[in-house]
Amino acid sequence: MTVLRLPSPLRSAVGGRTTVEIEASDLASLPAAVAARYPDLAARVLRDGAFGRFVTVFVDGEDARFLAADTPLGSARVVELLPAMSGG
Amino acid sequence: MATTTITRSALRGLRCRACGALGPADERYVCGECLGPIEPEYDLASFEPGALRRDIERGPRSLWRYAPLLPVREPGLRHAVGWTPLLPAPRLGAALRVERLYLKDDTRNPTLSFKDRPVAIALARALALGLDTLACASTGNLAGAVASAAARAGLRAFVFVPEATEAGKTASAAAYGATVVRVRGTYDQVNRLCGRLADERGWGFVNFTLRPYYAEGSKTLLFECAEQLGWELPHHVVVPVGSGALLTRTATAVAQLRATRLAGGEHCHIHAAQPAGCAPVSDAVLDGWRSVAPVRAPATLARSLAIGAPADGDGSVAAIRESRGSAASVDDDAIRDAVRLLAATEGVLVEPAGGVVIAAARELASRGVFHTGETVVLYLTGNGYKGGPEEIPLRPVIDADADAFAEAYGEVAP
Repeated sequence: MTVLRLPSPLRSAVGGRTTVEIEASDLASLPAAVAARYPDLAARVLRDGAFGRFVTVFVDGEDARFLAADTPLGSARVVELLPAMSGG
Repeated sequence: MATTTITRSALRGLRCRACGALGPADERYVCGECLGPIEPEYDLASFEPGALRRDIERGPRSLWRYAPLLPVREPGLRHAVGWTPLLPAPRLGAALRVERLYLKDDTRNPTLSFKDRPVAIALARALALGLDTLACASTGNLAGAVASAAARAGLRAFVFVPEATEAGKTASAAAYGATVVRVRGTYDQVNRLCGRLADERGWGFVNFTLRPYYAEGSKTLLFECAEQLGWELPHHVVVPVGSGALLTRTATAVAQLRATRLAGGEHCHIHAAQPAGCAPVSDAVLDGWRSVAPVRAPATLARSLAIGAPADGDGSVAAIRESRGSAASVDDDAIRDAVRLLAATEGVLVEPAGGVVIAAARELASRGVFHTGETVVLYLTGNGYKGGPEEIPLRPVIDADADAFAEAYGEVAP
């Protein structure tokens, strides 16, 4: 299982929890896993089966845009969703 | 005829740029429905153009003269942010072959960068919310702006910067009393940390939890340029791009000036200037208007623009395209040369980000982007005295002796 950490604006989609568990073998399968287990969350963050451009995904602190789609998501990994905000 | 003074903001609410939902101006900082960015929306049709222009012209010599087009009221701190000069630059113009060149010298704000503008708006919002702490993720300039504004208002400040930030910028932020947190890694890693902290702490993180308000301050550069040109839009404006917030809000300002009929002008082309070592927006424009690809490891001496994953990157590309503008990216040697050229021709010393703008203008001019008779405005957003040119070679030290001077400096003072 992978820990999925959510920012406060999204927590109402998962009963107010800060983290939830998700089972996804690799990065590519993460959106489908979110859609299957947390459809309310998926409705907010997924567009056409992928994370929308205003959501940034981090895997153990690494921006997922710099990772290969087949990056494995083992049980020790934390996946974090944050609003795509940066810079002044 | 009786006249009325416009003292209210025309703020209607906060609208999501992604899903279009309009909500109240509450404490949200992203859209609760889709996590998209939310931005103030104004009832611009409610203004009578003549009355609005008159009230602005009677207003304070600061960005607060545009209060009707801002989302918060001036908190009475008298910090004098904005209303910086728009300087004609004939000598630089001759060097760049640009006939009507102007410099928006925003290096003259309280902490010597344009970041004082967005922070002024964010601070006003923080005070309205009763917050006791300001914070930010910064490449350097924002840290000083937040630290100064917090000191002025009697708030605590925490500023987070990459470890490699220029010493002058961290030292000044510390002098204002802020806690300066230096973080190993790039700005984007600092940003991720602050994204988490902003969510956990009750602080006013200006570029996270106060962002919908903060970003509005960046509109005021273009408001001022138009007013200083006699309520005419410049034909071209060259904007340094880090996060892209300044560029997208420049486009917003153009739209609001047109919608309120405050300013005329046939067109206002917006151009992006980025360093070659971190040019995700310019590259996207020049590669045929594609989506922005983030840069993992920015490498440029223009550290204030070293944001590899700009939040307003795609928004910038769209705004440039809509304005029929363009973009340029320039290498470190060109940036150094441009900083010196500006200083030597116009007497204005800028940090490397300013050199990026000058060098980009040179490239745009060489590509024939600017036409005869068109006004070209260059945004100079950071002062050279706190992050200036490195390794400018100096002539030798001499004894206090006229012969020694003649010997060592005969070449330049025959």
